[in-house]
Amino acid sequence: MAAHTVFRTVLRNEWRLLMADRPLRIALGLFALLLAYALANGVVWMRFQERTAEVARAGNVERAVAIEEELTAIENGAEPASPFSDPRRPNVLGGARGRHTAVLDPGPLTALAVGQSDLLPYYYDVNIYTNESSFHQNGEVESPLNLMVGRFDLAFLVVYLLPLLVLALSFNVLSEEHEQGTLALTLSQPVSARGVVAARLAFRALLVVGMVLAGALAGTMLAGGFGAPGRIVLWCVAVVTYTLFWFVLAAWVNSLRRSSAWNATVLVGAWLVLVVVLPAAINIAAGLLHPLPSRVEMITVQREASNEAVNRRSELLARYLEDHPEMAEGVVADEPGLGALAWAATDAVNRRLEEVTGEHDARRAEQIALVRRYRFLSPALLAQEVLTDAAGTGDARFAAFQTQVRDFAEHWRQFFVPAILADEQMSASILPNTPRFRLADETSADVTRRAGVPLALLGGLLVFVSAGAAIGLGRVRGAD
Amino acid sequence: MQTAESGAGQPPLLEARGLSKRYGATQALDSLDLAIEAGEVYCLLGPNGAGKTTTINLFLGFVSPSGGQALVSGMDVSTHDRETKHRLAYIPEQVMLYRNLSGLENLEYFASLGGKGSMGRERLTDILVQAGLERDAADRRVSEYSKGMRQKVGIAIAMAKEAEALLLDEPTSGLDPKASNEFSALIERLRNRGVAVLMATHDLFRAKETGTRVGIMRYGSLVTELGTDEIGHADLERVYLEHMHD
Repeated sequence: MAAHTVFRTVLRNEWRLLMADRPLRIALGLFALLLAYALANGVVWMRFQERTAEVARAGNVERAVAIEEELTAIENGAEPASPFSDPRRPNVLGGARGRHTAVLDPGPLTALAVGQSDLLPYYYDVNIYTNESSFHQNGEVESPLNLMVGRFDLAFLVVYLLPLLVLALSFNVLSEEHEQGTLALTLSQPVSARGVVAARLAFRALLVVGMVLAGALAGTMLAGGFGAPGRIVLWCVAVVTYTLFWFVLAAWVNSLRRSSAWNATVLVGAWLVLVVVLPAAINIAAGLLHPLPSRVEMITVQREASNEAVNRRSELLARYLEDHPEMAEGVVADEPGLGALAWAATDAVNRRLEEVTGEHDARRAEQIALVRRYRFLSPALLAQEVLTDAAGTGDARFAAFQTQVRDFAEHWRQFFVPAILADEQMSASILPNTPRFRLADETSADVTRRAGVPLALLGGLLVFVSAGAAIGLGRVRGAD
Repeated sequence: MQTAESGAGQPPLLEARGLSKRYGATQALDSLDLAIEAGEVYCLLGPNGAGKTTTINLFLGFVSPSGGQALVSGMDVSTHDRETKHRLAYIPEQVMLYRNLSGLENLEYFASLGGKGSMGRERLTDILVQAGLERDAADRRVSEYSKGMRQKVGIAIAMAKEAEALLLDEPTSGLDPKASNEFSALIERLRNRGVAVLMATHDLFRAKETGTRVGIMRYGSLVTELGTDEIGHADLERVYLEHMHD
């Protein structure tokens, strides 16, 4: 009998069995509700992020217009509204009043995988006082694993709950046939156990994957369309691979010819270990092996450095000019203005902070490296990584954004600090030349290259369990 | 169904040649030689553990032989799994079906797996009726069926498959006398169509009534073989008990 005929026959029978099985239909209905809720959650978050980004950009324009109007008015003889917020002063124009907000737009598939977009900052107010503490004030800096786990979105549903549905649908795919006595009758026909189980699982996989992918595509459409086809394909491939891993694992366990109860226990245990225990254990190991410096220490250092800097401002300014001759044009070091002294103190605090945060960042990088090294142990970690990366909500995109904001902040300083040191006055004519943040976002090719590694590892795990299932099912002949 | 008996030179539909099966230290079947031609009903008698079910499992390819060969139409089951299963039908002691599906849906599924493709609802219902199931029972869920009704669906599956040989493992166990009689009548009809039947049973009466030959097994060996037209019910029982008490 041709394999495709067996396949079609089993699929038709599975459909009839599903239609006749009320609890199974209820379970699928519940999953569909959760799916809709997860999608709604993701879409709401993405819309919020889009609105926030719009507000931030509008703020940039409004501030620029207000400053331009005031500078023009001052040039025409008006007095500044306040001597402390006089836009002619470079430390005001380059400071909080004239700040520029650098914005990271939501990832193309944020609605499907919120990822770290609700944990890590997606906008920074950049001004001359932006320093390392600005990059450590927001976001989760304690746990690299927590950074990988977000709110109840579609990715969460896929990574954590979908395996449970898969196991509910497949834990007894063969053992049930054996227990209800239909296996002998089935295998007395010219078919193999491998073929029948594969067809049964294919039906269930089509059902589950079909629901998730339909939901994902609906979510993508709701959240703005199919502008990133590469990412969508990557997302779908990760979902299919991860789902198949659990189905095939269930087939492998079934091939051991134990009872349905035994299969259920082993498979739920596997879920617990692979989805919950191993990721948590890797996280604990990362924390123990590479502990992060205390956040309190960071704050204390900042305060101490700030106090010390205030007391030693003149000395610090001299040293600063020595270190940054490019900033020193027109500055008379022995008669510094208040702005120059303040900047010298600020710079000293920044340098001390860089030492502390550098250590923090190094430890965190070690933690992430450890998690990456052992992620192949958990298909959940691998799937999560691919899904968030494909969605544009993974840590790599945020890290790239932060790096670009750092560079932009440096550029901003280089624009304003010489004027501060020289105690120059700014005019409206300089405004068109002030730096503007332009994000060089990652391309689909970048994402595919990066996510290809965890996806390949996930594929490797799938191949491994497939081999086990194929060998095990090949031994099933129909009699105990 | 095959309608003519195997001609001269044709291999027997079912044949065991020195067929043996060992499970660890236990010799479940020891060098069984057996040949069943078209239109024959061969009944294997013997106590539990005599090797009857093992013989059937070997013909089905459910277990691999430790020695010898199980042949279906001259083809070795071990090397021609699919081809031999196309020619075989199997009815276990308990025909277990998908309880949430109707008899008709079960028949359609197993007949399709057996290689018969889509036979159409009317044709399948006719087969169920030929197998003795009432027409209005065909669309009822199997969970409402008695054991006898399930056995009839099992027969219908064999009929739909047009199997050349039928393997029955204690098929009348637990059936009431009326259902057993109906079952025997069905086997008789299949035999008349040229089907070779190998039936493992404890039921001496049914073996005498239905079978053309009986073989008595003990400790995995065939200890004697008799034609049912050679002996009466009482003789069969006496011979059986004699061998059991040796």
